[in-house]
Amino acid sequence: MRWLDWYGDGSTIVVDIGLACCALEFEAATGLVPAVPGAAATVDATRLAAGGRVVVVVSGTVTDRLAPAVAAIVDAAGSYGGQRPTVVSFGACASSGGPYWDSYAVTKGVEQLVEVDVFVPGCPPPPEALAAVLDDISGRVAS
Amino acid sequence: MTGHGSIVLIEQNCTSCMICARECPSWCITIDSHTETVVDQPAGARARTENVLDRFAIDWSLCMFCGICVDECPFDALEWATPQALPARTLTALTHEIPDLSAH
Ligand code: SF4
Ligand code: SF4
Ligand code: SF4
Repeated sequence: MRWLDWYGDGSTIVVDIGLACCALEFEAATGLVPAVPGAAATVDATRLAAGGRVVVVVSGTVTDRLAPAVAAIVDAAGSYGGQRPTVVSFGACASSGGPYWDSYAVTKGVEQLVEVDVFVPGCPPPPEALAAVLDDISGRVAS
Repeated sequence: MTGHGSIVLIEQNCTSCMICARECPSWCITIDSHTETVVDQPAGARARTENVLDRFAIDWSLCMFCGICVDECPFDALEWATPQALPARTLTALTHEIPDLSAH
């Protein structure tokens, strides 16, 4: 898990919960941030600016074994910024269990654990989809 | 070149044969159909029925964009399209029905 200052200004701190292949697309999306110093840099929660928001991105397969840890991270993220974080379910596995929905060990979507704000389809979704969703959440016009 | 952002249904080609739904590894295609008796048959011909499609839906929250449905459809009723299946605020909004899946 990492905290990234997506736009380099503390306005949007992205908490990356990368659990399987979709995490590679998350990684690729960090290459699409605006070319300003500090964008997509790994930071700690103190970098969050006043009025900024925390966005938790769950990318990859959530297993029942890991589910409590995922819920705990979302809870913890809410203690910064004073409001519940925006939760993005990135990819089929995070949204519904994806190709593994029938497995005894796989959680059938992160919505069973926490409230989700945006579901991004794809297996995996393209990195541009994550960049656009974050632009939308942070009130920037999607490019 | 057509991208692999979403899949469109060419409704008039679909015979409700269910092959795509059965071959889909994610089980994310839902099909409902009923049979109707063909009326304008020549005199003396044995009665025939045909399938009529009532519902065709793809759940984009489950789809792995593998294209098996497109390859397996014997009637060319499914095609790749470039526009990306878009994110949604609810899981149910990611299930697209015939009007959403028809080519624009
Ligand atoms: S949705 Fe597909 S690409 Fe993403 S983690 Fe699951 S299996 Fe991997
Ligand atoms: S692309 Fe693959 S997963 Fe998606 S509906 Fe077709 S067969 Fe199913
Ligand atoms: S395989 Fe083709 S014709 Fe058969 S139900 Fe699917 S889309 Fe329709």
